[in-house]
Amino acid sequence: MTTNWTVKSIRDSVNAGSATAESIVDEAIRRIEEKDGEIGAFLEVFADDARKAAREVDARIAVGEADLPLAGVPIALKDNMLVMGHIASAGSKMLADYRATYTATVVTRLQEAGAIIIGRTNMDEFAFGSSTESSAFHVTKNPHDTSKVPGGTSGGSAAAVAAGMIPAALGSDTGGSIRQPSSLCGVVGMKPTYGRVSRYGIIADGSSLDQVGPIATTVEDIAIVLSVIEGKDSHDATSVVLDDPASENVSSSLAGVRIGVPKEYFIDGMDEDVAARIHEAIDTLKSGGAEIVNMSLPLAPYALPAFYIIQPAEASSNLARFDGMRYGNRGEGAIEESYRSARGAGFGAESKRRIMLGTFILSAGYYDAFYKKAIAVRAAMKMEFDAALKNVDVIVGPVSPIVAWGIGEKMDDPVSMYLADVFTVSANILGIPGISVPCGTAHGLPVGLQVLGKSFDDNRVLQVAAAFEGLHNAS
Amino acid sequence: MDIDINRLAMLAKLQLTDDEKAMLQRQLPDILEYISKLQEVDTSGVDAKAYLTDAVNVLRDDVITSTRAERDAVVAAFPKQVGGAMEVPGVFAA
Repeated sequence: MTTNWTVKSIRDSVNAGSATAESIVDEAIRRIEEKDGEIGAFLEVFADDARKAAREVDARIAVGEADLPLAGVPIALKDNMLVMGHIASAGSKMLADYRATYTATVVTRLQEAGAIIIGRTNMDEFAFGSSTESSAFHVTKNPHDTSKVPGGTSGGSAAAVAAGMIPAALGSDTGGSIRQPSSLCGVVGMKPTYGRVSRYGIIADGSSLDQVGPIATTVEDIAIVLSVIEGKDSHDATSVVLDDPASENVSSSLAGVRIGVPKEYFIDGMDEDVAARIHEAIDTLKSGGAEIVNMSLPLAPYALPAFYIIQPAEASSNLARFDGMRYGNRGEGAIEESYRSARGAGFGAESKRRIMLGTFILSAGYYDAFYKKAIAVRAAMKMEFDAALKNVDVIVGPVSPIVAWGIGEKMDDPVSMYLADVFTVSANILGIPGISVPCGTAHGLPVGLQVLGKSFDDNRVLQVAAAFEGLHNAS
Repeated sequence: MDIDINRLAMLAKLQLTDDEKAMLQRQLPDILEYISKLQEVDTSGVDAKAYLTDAVNVLRDDVITSTRAERDAVVAAFPKQVGGAMEVPGVFAA
């Protein structure tokens, strides 16, 4: 929506001395003040700390630090990322006053690279939802049509970027929570391979599914931010040393690239206009030199039911720590009653639903039928995917079967809301990288093309996304 | 599927209002029916693993790296503290 407000352009001008980080931050705050009253993307703007950090970056550059990868770039954080001394509430009343006692690794890496943490953005409570309506604080609106949801759960981050308030934000993606709001808001959002980016200092949702990633307006900006935040972190045992780090010099060649199109990614009930945009995008990739391979992933339709077993099981276990003893408000009465009242008062409807569902799935008599079965299906899906991806480099399809829907439309029908994640959960179940890149509009609202790749083949995903972006913008 | 909401709420340590119980009694069976689709998949002979990475036993040296100040900040963030520790209600009824 807004030109020349990219990560790369800001970074280059600050490094070159043609703009100061302080002036960039002032501009970001001005844009937020101008636009966010209507959108509601932010829960808090760290105006004072951001200006102070900007002056520090300007001082670093003044004493000769050169080529900071994110010099003066204002970046917002989803509200589940810790910055020492600042509130991180995960969109929940439970943590409304919780101030972080340490800083997430991704945040430290952004700051070292010269980025300015500008504030925290709205999200569905504890990252449960698909619309950001489950935030305990307020509803965030889609900048393309303020009667529509921005998607979720990283809806605040996606809306802030889409409205041109900031050039980039971080989100977290457990079942599509970066890619789906990016698709619905018409921006680029990437979920890296599980293990590529540290989860230290991120409030946990489903620990075997969660991954942090960037939201921005161009694929190049995504690559720049990813190259800063990724890599081994001794504080996250699941993070790995990368053989093939991300580079901002993303190739956009499609020569020799084989792109799979699984027929399971076009389902009954999918919006026809959305499907048309995806087919056009596939034609665009073909005209750009890629080889299109029609294929089948027969287990793909089981990704969503498997997800809604694994995620609630892991999340209900992770949320056991919120009992009013260490966080939030202390409940009333003796210890058991105190736990129950603190949790009853602190959690919203969707969190309670996931906790109850997870507790049921893990309870005696149901564990084998649900949880163990889902883990076995996950392993079977991984075998199927690994075999299928021997023949192609990436697969493409829609991010979401529908465009942004009306605020309030799906709040009473959880299964219908869960179906919004039908094409995104596979990447989390399999631990693979995925990106959403804008590919036009349907019903006047943005549609995103999803590119999925093999584990740790994130650079290939970026390459295909960059190629598509270039072809699409030129058409 | 029969779901005993009160027993589940007890296991989950969640206080629920009557309205919340009624809503969950209505919605949870729909969700369980949907996720029961997984029973259609034949997983006999699948070596099920809970994690997808090849990493095993990621170890670190057993040394304290955090500072006293960090510890004190964590304790100070507890809803109730006494003498530099977390204060909790009595575990046994008086």
